[in-house]
Amino acid sequence: MNSIPGTIAAIDTDGNLSLVDIEVSSDFRMSALIVETPEHCPWLKTGHKTKILFKETEVSIARNLSGQISLRNRFTATIAAIRSSGMLAEITLDSAGHQVISIITNRSAQKMELKTGEQVEWLVKANEVSLTGS
Amino acid sequence: MIEVNVSKRLHTAEGPMDLVFSGTIEEGEFTTLFGPSGAGKTTLLRMVAGLTTPDSGTIVVDGQPWFDSARRINLSPRRRSIGMVFQDYALFPNLTVAENIGLALPKQQRSAIVSELLEVAGLQELAGRKPDKLSGGQRQRVALARALALKPTILLLDEPLSALDLQMRLKLQDELQRLHQRYQPTTLLVSHDLSEVFRLSRRVFVLDKGKVTRSGSPTEVFSQSKISNKFRFNGEVVHIKPSGVVYIVHVLVGQDIVQVIASEREMTTLKVGKRVLIASKAFNPLIMPLDE
Repeated sequence: MNSIPGTIAAIDTDGNLSLVDIEVSSDFRMSALIVETPEHCPWLKTGHKTKILFKETEVSIARNLSGQISLRNRFTATIAAIRSSGMLAEITLDSAGHQVISIITNRSAQKMELKTGEQVEWLVKANEVSLTGS
Repeated sequence: MIEVNVSKRLHTAEGPMDLVFSGTIEEGEFTTLFGPSGAGKTTLLRMVAGLTTPDSGTIVVDGQPWFDSARRINLSPRRRSIGMVFQDYALFPNLTVAENIGLALPKQQRSAIVSELLEVAGLQELAGRKPDKLSGGQRQRVALARALALKPTILLLDEPLSALDLQMRLKLQDELQRLHQRYQPTTLLVSHDLSEVFRLSRRVFVLDKGKVTRSGSPTEVFSQSKISNKFRFNGEVVHIKPSGVVYIVHVLVGQDIVQVIASEREMTTLKVGKRVLIASKAFNPLIMPLDE
């Protein structure tokens, strides 16, 4: 599980759903789509500290990504380590000082010729992002 | 309803410790006393049974004082309506299964009650056997049936399943749950097995060094995670299988085993037997109706 601390910057609620923007640092903001509302959840308030949680297997990696894409959680990072065995590869990324791990198929990792030290982008869908209050 | 307000000074290996307990257990409820060994759980159970006398306080069961230090009331264990099961089976070795169960029953009711309990506990085939011809799990079933024979108001269980292997423990947990639903005795279980607490009890008191540190439903007490996920379960890790750079973790949730992928980093905190919260996004699970 990837875990990044942040501060809730904005909450957009519609019915039982909320789209939450979390500020990790001034130029690093993530979005989470959750089934929760500020009305029912005491820690879901602007300015509150939170932890952003998401599964390694939900993190995609891109290089030279162009064209339009619906994902807004899209960040640059440096590859810090690559570990592969069998079908899967574990790519450890350094993204603005935070460690993010992506688990993708070895086939994709080899096709993209990913190398340690290289700059890439990582992406995760907002509906795959969980939040935990403190 | 059991209302317990007791205190007692205990002399432990680390010096004196004051056991102080104040709590109410509703009629028919299954409640667990959970905590490390030496926390005072068994002593508390023995106080309810009348086997240990508190220094001061009261124990009131359905409005009747069983113990009241100020009024000098202290019912003997025989006069308290209790059934007890301990970790060691405490069956009479020279009596058969049926005789062990029926021992304390009045003659005219004996055969009817014993045959019902033999049936309910699945012991019919073993009725004529002596305890030394039984497995550990079977002996505990007999002990449980015997404890229920007199239809006690309170069932006291002191780690009754802790000597059994995992598979037998899970089976007897189901059995215990079934028997509790059928006879509904107010039940007090001493356990240090977290999964047992989750599977069996409605309420739990966590004891540490003689004091209650937390109480409530198992989920309230042990899942304090403030995670947003609406799709989440409590479970127990039963098996971990490495697979390349990841691990496949088998988790027992209720009666089902589900599988969760874990990373290398997560393995430092996971091992077989560990109680875990598993969560997914509500957006993620597929949902489809079953054939009827």
